[in-house]
Amino acid sequence: MKKEELLNKLRSSVTQQFDMPSEPVKGITFTDISKQFIEMSKTVGGKVIEVKNTDDLNTIIHKAYPNAKVFASVVKGIKADLNPDSVASAAELNGTDVGIIQGVIGVAENGCIWIPQTMKERAICFISEELVILLDRKNIVNNMHEAYKRIEINSYGYGVFISGPSKTADIEQALVMGAQAARGVTVILID
Amino acid sequence: MATSHSKKAAAFLSDPDKVTRHDQTFWGIREKRDIQAAMLPEWEDLREHASEIKEHTLTHLADYLEEFSKNLESNGVIVHWAKDAQEFNEIAYSILENNKVKKLVKSKSMLTEECEMNDYLIEKGIDVVETDLGERILQLMKLKPSHIVVPAAHITRDEVGSMFEKEGISKEIGNHDPTYLTQCARYNLREEFIEAEAGLTGCNFGVAATGDCVVCTNEGNADMCTAIPKLHIVAMGIDKVIPNYDSLAVFQRLLCRCGTGQPTSSFTSHFRKARPDGEMHVILVDNGRSDIIANPLHWKTAKCIRCGACMNTCPVYRRSMGYSYSYFIPGPIGVNLGMLRNPKKHSGNVSACSLCLSCDHVCPTKVAPGSQIYFWRQELEKFGTENKEKKYMSAAMKKLYGNYTVYDIATQYAHFANYIPQKMMDIKQNTWSEGHDMPHFPKKPFHKIYRQMMKEMEKEEKRK
Repeated sequence: MKKEELLNKLRSSVTQQFDMPSEPVKGITFTDISKQFIEMSKTVGGKVIEVKNTDDLNTIIHKAYPNAKVFASVVKGIKADLNPDSVASAAELNGTDVGIIQGVIGVAENGCIWIPQTMKERAICFISEELVILLDRKNIVNNMHEAYKRIEINSYGYGVFISGPSKTADIEQALVMGAQAARGVTVILID
Repeated sequence: MATSHSKKAAAFLSDPDKVTRHDQTFWGIREKRDIQAAMLPEWEDLREHASEIKEHTLTHLADYLEEFSKNLESNGVIVHWAKDAQEFNEIAYSILENNKVKKLVKSKSMLTEECEMNDYLIEKGIDVVETDLGERILQLMKLKPSHIVVPAAHITRDEVGSMFEKEGISKEIGNHDPTYLTQCARYNLREEFIEAEAGLTGCNFGVAATGDCVVCTNEGNADMCTAIPKLHIVAMGIDKVIPNYDSLAVFQRLLCRCGTGQPTSSFTSHFRKARPDGEMHVILVDNGRSDIIANPLHWKTAKCIRCGACMNTCPVYRRSMGYSYSYFIPGPIGVNLGMLRNPKKHSGNVSACSLCLSCDHVCPTKVAPGSQIYFWRQELEKFGTENKEKKYMSAAMKKLYGNYTVYDIATQYAHFANYIPQKMMDIKQNTWSEGHDMPHFPKKPFHKIYRQMMKEMEKEEKRK
């Protein structure tokens, strides 16, 4: 189909045009924004560990996953066995026990965390059995309206809001964690 | 006065346990949606915004499509335009053929169902693998979705378990625990993601201002489909375009709360560019959407964001299941979309509505599917699909109720009908008797009693 043909048809069939709403939506706000974020993170099936910026993240992560063997990350200062920047293919990340990634914005109303792609193989965010997301407490916003005012996509051209582990209820509406992506998510909230 | 829907529904209703389970499944989702709605003081404001943004976008769609495609192309994405299902399938195949793709993994897309893409590609020799768990179950069982969001809700765990055993996906015979079966599918699909040379996703929202294709999933399967294979194809209807991130915030907040009663989908993925060394294609599909937008009476149907809330709340859908509808999208919105697709073929669905309008009240974009079904019923004569019996009955009723003398005489003698034995009334020709007892006519009709009472009251007044 010619694009012009469609656009002309659409233009000629409109008899009345409507304006955008004049006022923005006043999204819900919370008095204790990080308490709400932590509560929602748990509601959506995630875990939260609150730490100070002086704490050793490697120790905390290894303590949280004592049986994990393969760690993958590109985050500065995080010890990892696999590096999503230097693996030959995304499939090489299959078998990762714990993937550690950096979150940029947390959303209190629904536990979403904005993860822009900062590594060559973004598969680490999905293929890992368990996902650890690092997030600064000061980067939590109230709602999606505030979040979408702030998100940016870099030259990789990809970003995702993740809220808890991969889940499904496709068999008799029984909620199961770990459908195709990570079975569990731990948010490390850094002061 | 049976319609195609009521006939199929009758068959489904013959298994009361199945009906109860189906009804409770979807009512449960409706209740979860209510809890989410009640948590947000701005809920109704969100719905009004969603409705207004859609009305604005649809009436400026050419401009937004131009902006969207321009931004896609500036990000190196290859844009294709498909007039109909045939063109869409051909384009999808040509992309796969050019890249020598043997296996395609895909996430849920109702557009590919609409275009019957899977059958087309499989015929051409492509191994098409559905990766949403519900869709995968249906694909292996050779069944169609019965709902647009929870497509396999009508299948039991035992049915899934037996099929997984037969396919060699589960090894523990007789273990039909949903957690176990989901894990088996997880391992099985991992291999498919790794083997596939291409991934196809749908698109919930196309953001004109940035060129983002936004996909919402709970399983993360759209991301698995596109993070491992290097070729990404996006299949999207032209109605999916929205202006900008501010609009996206409104729809993102509504979609999952309305659809599954969750505060958000687990993954809200923004695809703007191909992966390093990869290719990204977006196929923009019309397939009748421009006709819907041009329809003066029904253009607002195009505001639908396919959340499925209207089905979950619909008392008829919950008790008749998706397969009772002739169109592949069931429930209130499906009745409308079917009529817009082919009214002659899908008129049998417009009876699947009690006009309770619960769907109008839960719809996040105020499509008002129930109210529109009412209008479709008025239009049936135009397509020659109206019910002739009902037409004659209506004409007779107009004579009866429109003329006082006729009505008076009829009600005066109606009680003689009480002497007709029930057996003679419960016959096939008397469709009223299906599911109803015949009414019992009183010897003295109400209007006679009323008039008598009024006279007596007047007398009393005078006496005073």
